[in-house]
Amino acid sequence: MIGTVKISDYTILTRRFSNVRQQIHFCLNGHRHTIDDERVFLSLAEYLRERCHLVGTKIVCNEGDCGACSVLIGRWDRHSERYNYQTLDSCIVYLFQLDGSHVVTVEGLGDTHFLTPIQQAMVRCHGSQCGFCTPGFVMAMHGMVETEIAANQENLSYELSGNLCRCTGYASIVEAGLQMNPENCARMNTRYCPDEIYSQLGNFEADSIEIKTSGGTVFIPKSLPEAVSFRNSHPAATIVCGATDYGVLRNHDKIVATDTLCLVNVEGFQSISFEDGDLKVGGGATCYQIEQAVREPIPEYYAILTRFGSPQIRKAGTIGGNLASGSPIADAVPFHLAMESQVELVGPDGIRTLPLEDFYQGYRKTALQNNELIAKIHTPLLKDDERLKLIKISKRRDMDISTATFALWLKLDGKTIVRARSFMGGVGPTVLRMRESELQLVGSPFSKESFQRAGKVARTAIQPWSDVRGDASYRLQLAENFFLKSFHEWEVHHG
Amino acid sequence: MASSGKSLPHESAIGHVTGTAAYIDDLPTTYGELYVDYAGAPIACGKIARIDLSMASRIAGVVAMFTFEDLPGHNVFGPIFRDEPFLVEDTISYLDQPVVVVAATSREAAKQAAKAIKIEWVATTPILTIDQAIAANSWLGPQRKIERGDVDRILKNSRLTVDGIFESNGQEQLYFESQACLAYSGENQAIKVICSTQNPTETQMVVAEALGLQLHQVVCECRRMGGGFGGKETQSAIPAAMAALVSFHTGRSARIVYRKDQDMLVTGKRHPYKTWYRAAFEEDGRLSAVEFKFYSNGGAFADLSTSILERTMLHADNAYFIPNIRIIAQACRTNLPPNTAFRGFGGPQGVAAIENLIQEIAIRTQCDAFDVRRRNLYRDGDSNRNTTPYGQVVQDHVLEETLSQIEVSSEYQTRLESVRDANRNPSLRLKGLAMCPIKFGISFTTKFLNQGNALVNVYTDGSIQVSTGGTEMGQGLNTKLRQIVADEFGVPVRSVSVMTTSTEKNHNTSPTAASAGTDLNGQAALDACQQIRRRMADFASQRLSNLEDVLPPSPENIRFEDGFVFDVRTPSNRIGFSSFCDEARRERIDLGARGFYATPGVEFNRETGRGTPFYYFTTGAAVAEVTVDRWTGEYTIDRVDILMDLGKMINPGVDLGQVVGGFIQGVGWCTTEELKYDPQGRLLSISPTTYKIPNVTDIPPILKVDTIDNPKHVVNVFRSKAVGEPPLMLGISVWLAIKNALSHLRPGTIPKLSIPATSEAVLRSITVMLENPSEAK
Repeated sequence: MIGTVKISDYTILTRRFSNVRQQIHFCLNGHRHTIDDERVFLSLAEYLRERCHLVGTKIVCNEGDCGACSVLIGRWDRHSERYNYQTLDSCIVYLFQLDGSHVVTVEGLGDTHFLTPIQQAMVRCHGSQCGFCTPGFVMAMHGMVETEIAANQENLSYELSGNLCRCTGYASIVEAGLQMNPENCARMNTRYCPDEIYSQLGNFEADSIEIKTSGGTVFIPKSLPEAVSFRNSHPAATIVCGATDYGVLRNHDKIVATDTLCLVNVEGFQSISFEDGDLKVGGGATCYQIEQAVREPIPEYYAILTRFGSPQIRKAGTIGGNLASGSPIADAVPFHLAMESQVELVGPDGIRTLPLEDFYQGYRKTALQNNELIAKIHTPLLKDDERLKLIKISKRRDMDISTATFALWLKLDGKTIVRARSFMGGVGPTVLRMRESELQLVGSPFSKESFQRAGKVARTAIQPWSDVRGDASYRLQLAENFFLKSFHEWEVHHG
Repeated sequence: MASSGKSLPHESAIGHVTGTAAYIDDLPTTYGELYVDYAGAPIACGKIARIDLSMASRIAGVVAMFTFEDLPGHNVFGPIFRDEPFLVEDTISYLDQPVVVVAATSREAAKQAAKAIKIEWVATTPILTIDQAIAANSWLGPQRKIERGDVDRILKNSRLTVDGIFESNGQEQLYFESQACLAYSGENQAIKVICSTQNPTETQMVVAEALGLQLHQVVCECRRMGGGFGGKETQSAIPAAMAALVSFHTGRSARIVYRKDQDMLVTGKRHPYKTWYRAAFEEDGRLSAVEFKFYSNGGAFADLSTSILERTMLHADNAYFIPNIRIIAQACRTNLPPNTAFRGFGGPQGVAAIENLIQEIAIRTQCDAFDVRRRNLYRDGDSNRNTTPYGQVVQDHVLEETLSQIEVSSEYQTRLESVRDANRNPSLRLKGLAMCPIKFGISFTTKFLNQGNALVNVYTDGSIQVSTGGTEMGQGLNTKLRQIVADEFGVPVRSVSVMTTSTEKNHNTSPTAASAGTDLNGQAALDACQQIRRRMADFASQRLSNLEDVLPPSPENIRFEDGFVFDVRTPSNRIGFSSFCDEARRERIDLGARGFYATPGVEFNRETGRGTPFYYFTTGAAVAEVTVDRWTGEYTIDRVDILMDLGKMINPGVDLGQVVGGFIQGVGWCTTEELKYDPQGRLLSISPTTYKIPNVTDIPPILKVDTIDNPKHVVNVFRSKAVGEPPLMLGISVWLAIKNALSHLRPGTIPKLSIPATSEAVLRSITVMLENPSEAK
C-alpha cells in the first residue's frame, strides 16, 4: 500500500541551488588540506597513514569495529562559533565527508615532551601494554572531554565501548580515565583557535561540491532538492551519509568507488523534534543525536540505541541509513515498526508518506524509488495505556551486530490486552511481523499463559537460518522466550 | 634507591600514548620498496591442478610473483617436526594456505594481483573436526600417557563415579598488530628482516633455510610487537619468509602486513579439545581416581601441537592431588590452519577439564564446590598429597593460604547464601558463584629452551644498554629488564635503555613464551651485569684503597648505589658512577659483557611421563559471580576477586596489568569468543565484527585484584614469579559460575556446557535442563 502523495510546504524544497565548487577543504591538525581528485575516495585512516605519514593512527579491523583508528573530527557550530569535536573511526570516514571539518589525530594533541593530562594518566596507570590500541583510547577520552561528559566509571564504560583492547582487560584504562582531570585538559577549541581554522575553511561553507574523478563523480549537496536532483540524474549513484555501512563494504572491495551522493552537509537534514505527540527525525540525524533526544521521552528506544554499534558508529550512522539498508537486523527498525512510524520520502515530484511497514518489501528491498531519499520519519509516542518492550540479542553486549531483535507493543484495557503489535528481526528476510502471536494476545488477559501461547506460536511462524551469529534453533527458542521474558519483566516493573 | 618493586610506567608508555611507538607498518618506506601479498589455497583439502598468473601479471604495479619453485633453499620447515611446506607444492592442506607470493609497487596492486591469480584445484573431503580425525586415524605425533596408581580398579569398585565428554573450542589470539615483516637485502646475499615476532631466532632459521643461506647471513630484529599472545611464536616466520623471498630476488626492500581478516583466516589458534573423562570420588567430593583422554585439533601441520598437548597433560591435575590418575593424549591432524601457541599453551584446556569435573562432582555430592576444591588441594610438605602425576613435588607454595584468604576477602560464604536465596524462584534470572584455583608450571617443558643470553654495554657517561633475546609484546619485559639492570649498577632507570631485540646481538635464543621472558632474560642480564660489576669492583677497590689509612683493596666491600661507587668502609669517599665509568675505560677495564642463564634442575621424559619439568609454580585463585538471563541465556559478570602469589614483584603495575589482562582474555575464551567454520573449513568469524573479544562493558563492575606473600619462594630473578599465562586460566571461574547458576535449575542435575559458554549455549543448556532433564547429564 502506498501512502498518500502530497506536495509538502517543505521549506528546503524551495531553497535556491548553491554555488558548486570542485574541491573539498578540511583542516588536519590545524593545516588546510584541499582535495580535488580520486583521493576524495580514500578513507581518512588511509590518507593519514599513507599520504600524510601520520602513522600514530592505527588500523586493525578496518571496518569500524575496534576503534584503534579513532580521531577527533570537529564540525563548525555557527551558533557558538566553535568546532564541535567528536570521536570517529577514521577507517570508515572518507575524505568526501570531511568538507569544512577539522580533523585532530594523536599527533595533533601534543608531543612527547608535552603529554596531555589524559596521556599522563594513561602512562601513570599502565593503561597501555602493547600500545597498538592506545592512540585510539586516548582520542576517545579526549572526545569525552570535548563533549563534556563526566569521566565517571559508568560514562567511561559507555564512551570507551567502541574501543577494543586485547592486552589490559580495560581496568587500567578505566582507572586512567578516572584520574585524567578533564578540567586540566585543554579543549581542542583552545589548542586550535576556532577562528583560525574557520578562516581557512569558512569562506566555502555555503557551497555544494562536485568532484569529477576517473572513479566517478562525488556530489556533496547543501540542500535536499539538490540531492534529489543529483539522485534523479544519477540513479545508480551510491548514497552515503555516515558511511558506517558503506565503509565496511568499501574496505572489503564489495563496492567500488563510483558516482557518489554524500548527504553529510545537507542543511536541516539532522533535525529532531517532538511535535503533536510525534517524534520527527530527519533522515540525516545520527543515532547518537536521536539517542540523546529520546533518553527521557522514550527510554525503551534509548536503551536499544545505546547498544547500536559503538559510540563512534552512532556518531556517524544515521537513522535514514539504518532504515534504508533494509537489513533484517537493523537495530532501529523493530521500534519504528511497533510504533507504526511513517516515512517521508522525497523525490523529484515532491513528498510521499507511507507506513514503515509498507516500506519493506524483501531482503534488503525497500519501496524507495531510485530517485528518492528518506527525508523524515514520524513516530507516535507511547500513551499511558500502552506498553513497549524492545530486546536486542547479540553475542557480546556492546559493539555487536544483532543475532535477533524483538519489539512488542501492547494496548491494555485494565488487565486485558486490546491491541498488540510484535516484530522480530534476524529471523527472516525482513523484520517480521508476528501476527499469529498478536492474535494470541489480543483479547487475552495480561497473564503468563497468554504470553506463553504467543511465544509458542511465534516459534512456528518463523523459519530462521543458522549463521555466524547463531543457529536457527537458538533464534527459534528466543522467539518463544521473548514473550515470556517481556511478561516477567513487566510484572517485576509494573506489578 | 632500588627501582625494583616499584610500579614504574611501561618503558614505551610515552610512545604508546603519543602514537610515536613504531610497529612494522609504521616504519618509513625506502626507494623502490615493494608490498607483498599472497594468493592462498581456495579449498581446505585437495591438490593444485594449475596456477594461472596471466591475469595477475597484467595488473599495473605487479613486479614479481613466486611459487615454491623459486625458493633457493628448503620449502619444508617446522619447529618440532619438519612437516610444513612454506608454499604449497601440490597438496593443499588448509584453506588459504599460501601458494603464490606477489610483489607490487603498491599495497592495492599486490592485493588485487593476489586475487587475480587463478588456482585450479581438485578437492578431496577435508577432515575438520576431532571426531572426523579419530574416525580417519589422522594423527600428529604419538599418543602420550602419564599414569599413576590403579585407575581401572578404583573406577570399577567405586560407588560414586562420574563420566562424560568435555569440549573446549579454539581461540583467536587477535593481537592488534597483524603478522608483519619488512625485509632488506644486503651485501653478499645477506638478508635483514624486521619482524613482529616472539621468536627472532626461529624466524632467522626459517628465512635462512628458505633462501638457502647460512644463519650468519640472516639477521632478525624486533623492537616491539602490537601483541603476540603466542600467535607470533612460530607463525610470524611465514610472512617473514615471504618478505625475505621478495627482497632476496628483487634486491628491493619488501613489506608484508596481513589484513586482519586475512590474518584471522590463515593463522593458527588455540587448539580445540575434546576430552573423555571418568572419575571416582568420595562422599565429600575427594577424588580417588581420574582418567582423561585428551584429543586436540592440531590443524594441518605439527607446529607446536605436541608440546602444547604435553602442557595439557601436565596441567590436568591443576591444583589437586589425585592419587590414581591416567592421562592419555593425542593431537589430531586436520585441515584447519596449523593450530599454535596461545597464552596458556595447552594449560587452559587441561585446567578447564579438571575444573569442569570438580564442578560436576560438587553437583553430584551436593557439596559446595569451594569445599570440594579445598579438600582436593595439594598440601605443601605433606608427602601423601604433594606429588604430581608426573612425579614432581609441588612445594614452597601458598595454595591453602590463598583459598582461605580469598574465601574471606571475597565474602564467599555470605554471597553463597544470597545466591542460593536469589535462585529459589528464578522467574527472570539465575545467579552463580564459583572459585577456581590455578597452579601453573613455569619453564619450557622442552629442556633446551630454558636458556637466555644478554648483552650489557656500559658507556663512559654511565649510561647502559641492555639487549636480550627476549621480545617486547606489551607484557613489560623491557620495563623489568631496565629495572633489573639499573638496580645492579645502582643507577636510575633513565640511565638504562633496552635495545631492539636482534639475532645479531643475541643469538640461539628461545621464543619469548612460557611466561618465562623475565625469568630467562632477566637472569641472563643479571649475569652480564655481575661480570661487569666484578671488574668494576676490582678497579674501584684499587682506586678507593688507601694504604696510609690501612684500607687494603677489597672488592667485596665495593658498593654501587644511588649513582655512586664507594667502599662500604669509607662511604663518604665516593665517585659518581659516570666519571667512574670514564676512568675505568681509561684504565682499560672491559665495560661490556654477555651474560648467560640456564634454568637449573628441569628435566622431563615424555616417553615415561615422569620428571621435574618445572622450576617452580605460579599459583592463585579467583572467585566469580554471574547473573544469567533465564529467557535469553545472556549473562553479566557481577564481581570477580583475584588473589595471586607472584613472589616479589619487580614491577607491580606491570604484573597486575598482566593479571587483569590475562584474566579477561581467559574470560573471552570461556564466554563470547566463538570460532565458527563453514562445512568446507572456511572460518566465518574472521574479524572483530564477528569474533567477539571482551569489551570494556564486559568487565565486572567489581574487580578486586590482590597478591599474597610467599616467603617460601626464594628462587628466580629477584625472587619474582612469572605472571604472563597463569591468570588467563582464572577466567575459567566465570565459566564455572555460569555452570553453577544453571545447576540451580534442577539441583542434582548436571547442566551440559562447553567452552565457550555463549549466550546461545547457555540458553540451550537451560532449555534442555527444563524440558528434557534426562538429556542433561
